[in-house]
Amino acid sequence: MSVEDILAAENELTHLLGAQQAVVLSTRIRLARNLDGLPFPGWAKVPQRKEIADRCITALEGLAKFRRGHVLRMGELDDRDRLVLVERHLVSKELAAGKSGAAVISRDQTCSVMVNEEDHLRIQVVKAGWHLRGTWHIAEQLDDALGGSLKLAFSDRLGYLTACPTNVGTGLRASAMVHLPGLCLAGHIEKVTRALNQDGLAVRGWLGEGTEAAGNIFQISNQQTLGLSEEAILKHLGGWIKNVVEQEWNARRKLAQEEGEKFVDRLARSLGVLRSARLLTSSEAMNMLSHLRLACDMGCLPEARRHLVDRLMIEGQPAHVQARAGQELDSDGRDCRRAAVVREALKNFPELTAPTA
Amino acid sequence: MSQPIKCSLCEEAATVHLSQVVHGKVTKVHLCEACAQKGGATDPAVFQLADALTAAAPAPALTCPQCGFTDLDFRKRGRLGCPSCWETFGDALGGLLGKVQHEVAHVGRAPAGIVPAGQLRRRLEVARQAMTKAISVEDYEAAARLRDEVASLEQQLLPS
Repeated sequence: MSVEDILAAENELTHLLGAQQAVVLSTRIRLARNLDGLPFPGWAKVPQRKEIADRCITALEGLAKFRRGHVLRMGELDDRDRLVLVERHLVSKELAAGKSGAAVISRDQTCSVMVNEEDHLRIQVVKAGWHLRGTWHIAEQLDDALGGSLKLAFSDRLGYLTACPTNVGTGLRASAMVHLPGLCLAGHIEKVTRALNQDGLAVRGWLGEGTEAAGNIFQISNQQTLGLSEEAILKHLGGWIKNVVEQEWNARRKLAQEEGEKFVDRLARSLGVLRSARLLTSSEAMNMLSHLRLACDMGCLPEARRHLVDRLMIEGQPAHVQARAGQELDSDGRDCRRAAVVREALKNFPELTAPTA
Repeated sequence: MSQPIKCSLCEEAATVHLSQVVHGKVTKVHLCEACAQKGGATDPAVFQLADALTAAAPAPALTCPQCGFTDLDFRKRGRLGCPSCWETFGDALGGLLGKVQHEVAHVGRAPAGIVPAGQLRRRLEVARQAMTKAISVEDYEAAARLRDEVASLEQQLLPS
């Protein structure tokens, strides 16, 4: 199994196999786990990292969830393939930057486990749309199954032991990827971000830590992992996401009402540019696709087209564009190719109508 | 040429310099671009982490007997060396945990087969209350059963 298979396979984030939703693009659960008695990857010697990788991969391959899945060792992949995995959120930039890391990915791409990242194991489960309980349930089962075959580092007092003090305890990072064009256009996003930060939630860009919020997409996650039960962490995040989704809808409806034709015009112009541009930069494409997603949510475009917009957001990223082209492309070459892919995908898109939502 | 300032979290040259004034005292944190970006220089947790790192002035050198990691390594990396480091540096990290996590004890789930002490203590509390209630209503059969449960839980909670 290779990165090409991952690109070719249909999965719920790109092909409407799950429930695509307005506002919340996806729900993610991440658990940090380590093997007992072995140094953390950042401090381990090369032979120890190899031992960690072998033990973890053997255990993961034995789990039903990863049957007929993918085992990808970073040292065996070229730069572009590693970047494709980062762009699909299957691995982190940190894992892709090293040679001793590996990723074990389920066939449906909803579960991926990073081996030898900051911790020995980073279990990730991602579902399209807002499904906090369901996503957590899968992660919990995976964690239990893994704990059955590996002795995990656990302390009675501190819980799951991790390399960084910011993850110790539950090792749980629960997050939602949210699309907030309404709050961005209305100029309320900073206020919302501040409120979330003050209540212990982190707000990050599309590709995680230290990235920009391209396409008005933000990742909201818990920060505290110690002294709260998993249940409490999920409840806290869930309450805030519900609140943010409500605020986003209020902002959208207010804009649509106040701006009238100007609101639809803004979105229609983005469709116009995407349908005819010969060169599109990555951030330009993201920001205009964000307008199309908003148009689908608001009923200006058929809702059934939303999954295509989501797919273009993922496949319009630099490494994906090059992988599809099957060749290395410079920046202009990528912009040209991206524009061609987008033009082709949107050629039968209907014209925008007045909002119904 | 003067020596470049090193990042407080790793060995790289620092390019981001943060100054914070708390109670009239200036604390400076130097970060390389990668560390600043990684944590997000605006992320309050990074500020707190950086605070804790710089505030923990010259600490007595501690070394993990399992992996050889020292407290100085932690100041450089902000990460521990191995699971046993948590025992070695546990007390020294208490203040940092309080700052970045607001809590110092785990209350969540545990690997299969392990019952965390917190859970045992809660069960003990419940069993003790039930035993007192059983005695007060003269249900000695239930009280005897609960007494055995209390004894068993107390046994499990003894430090191994």
